[in-house]
Amino acid sequence: MTTGEITSDLLHGGVTTLEIAAGAWAVSATVGLAFAMARDVGMLPVRLAAASVTALLRSTPQLILLYLVFFGLPSLGIDVGGLTAAIVVLGVADASFNAEYYRASLITVPRTQRDAGMSLGFSRLGTLAFVVLPQAMLYMVAPLLNSFLSLLKTATLASAIGVPEILYRGQNDMQLTGHVVAVIAVVIVLYGVACMPLIRFISVVERRARERLYT
Amino acid sequence: MQWSWLHILWVGLQVTLRLSLYTIGFSVVVAAAFAVASISRWRLVRWTARFVVDLLRSIPILALLIFAYYGLGKYIASWHVDPFWMAVGALTLGEAAFLSEIFRAGLEAIPRTQWEAAESLGFRRTSALARIIAPQAVLPSIPGLVNMSIFTFKDSSLASVIAVPEVTQVANQLVSETFKPLQVYLLLAGFYLVVILPFTALAGLAEKAVTRYYGLHVDKASIARN
Repeated sequence: MTTGEITSDLLHGGVTTLEIAAGAWAVSATVGLAFAMARDVGMLPVRLAAASVTALLRSTPQLILLYLVFFGLPSLGIDVGGLTAAIVVLGVADASFNAEYYRASLITVPRTQRDAGMSLGFSRLGTLAFVVLPQAMLYMVAPLLNSFLSLLKTATLASAIGVPEILYRGQNDMQLTGHVVAVIAVVIVLYGVACMPLIRFISVVERRARERLYT
Repeated sequence: MQWSWLHILWVGLQVTLRLSLYTIGFSVVVAAAFAVASISRWRLVRWTARFVVDLLRSIPILALLIFAYYGLGKYIASWHVDPFWMAVGALTLGEAAFLSEIFRAGLEAIPRTQWEAAESLGFRRTSALARIIAPQAVLPSIPGLVNMSIFTFKDSSLASVIAVPEVTQVANQLVSETFKPLQVYLLLAGFYLVVILPFTALAGLAEKAVTRYYGLHVDKASIARN
């Protein structure tokens, strides 16, 4: 295998990595919002349930959640493929973090806005969805970008359940061809090119949001 | 489930704890060095430090582990380095990059007037940093450090893929012997929860205390998640 062939193999893996990250991102953004809204407007049992589920998810290593779903659930007759397992597990695990950021951004909206919404006859959920959420969205941009950055990296965990993403292929190439340095270099360059500009961009967005919040 | 499982997993958990503690210890040292370098007056030092930190933040920790084991391992095979120490090295690089951002935010939160006061008292920049600025940055960094420790403990499970006999690896073996993945992995998750939940509570308390004491909010949105 030449360096060119290794690069093209890893790029194919990169496409799978992107699939996992994008899928998990969608899961995380929606499930995270559901968690945050449940903790915000739900009845007490719902609030407690949402709080405990997110706390449990945040305290368990993603690798073990992945093993539970991929190796554990088939014994209950629920058998999903590696790709689906990775997207769902990484997405739901990340949602438990996103829920906290959603909540933090909901808090930035002054209480009086809720009172105003309620006094106009909106239900609690209606107030949240049509009055509070639109004003909080600005502060969700940075956390959501961060979520994608984080998922691009945790997508590598899918290699542990045999999904042929970038690291899985890289590991195979290293063992088959012995071109260790080439594989490491290509993986580092691919991740660096994808993530480093994103890191800078996120810090700019964060600074803007913070300046707006405190002025 | 059998009682022997608890004992087997407990042996693995001890390795996990050792792995995490060494990683946290080394990370603090490496991260402090990165943080100091990233606020250096010399542009070259500052830019290099920030580039390296950003690059390390871009590379998945699992990739660092695989590189250390399959990559470096090929060249240093004759040294017989224990995978445990490879894992400590790889995890340290990954975690230190994040921790250095927490330390840097702590250093940058100290008002410029403190630097000026130190300078007017005749302190050189190095001794001002060591004796006046850094001590004030320690306390506000504690919540971030506790958070990072929790992440390190969780991330140490990744060392199972390079055959470090920590608790996840031990559980994998147990699964291959008993063919009961659901029970074993649920129990394993319980082991992690028992260690992590008290620390999560501690992190929350520390954060509240620091926020109240300093009246400042060190923004963690970009760094609180790997």
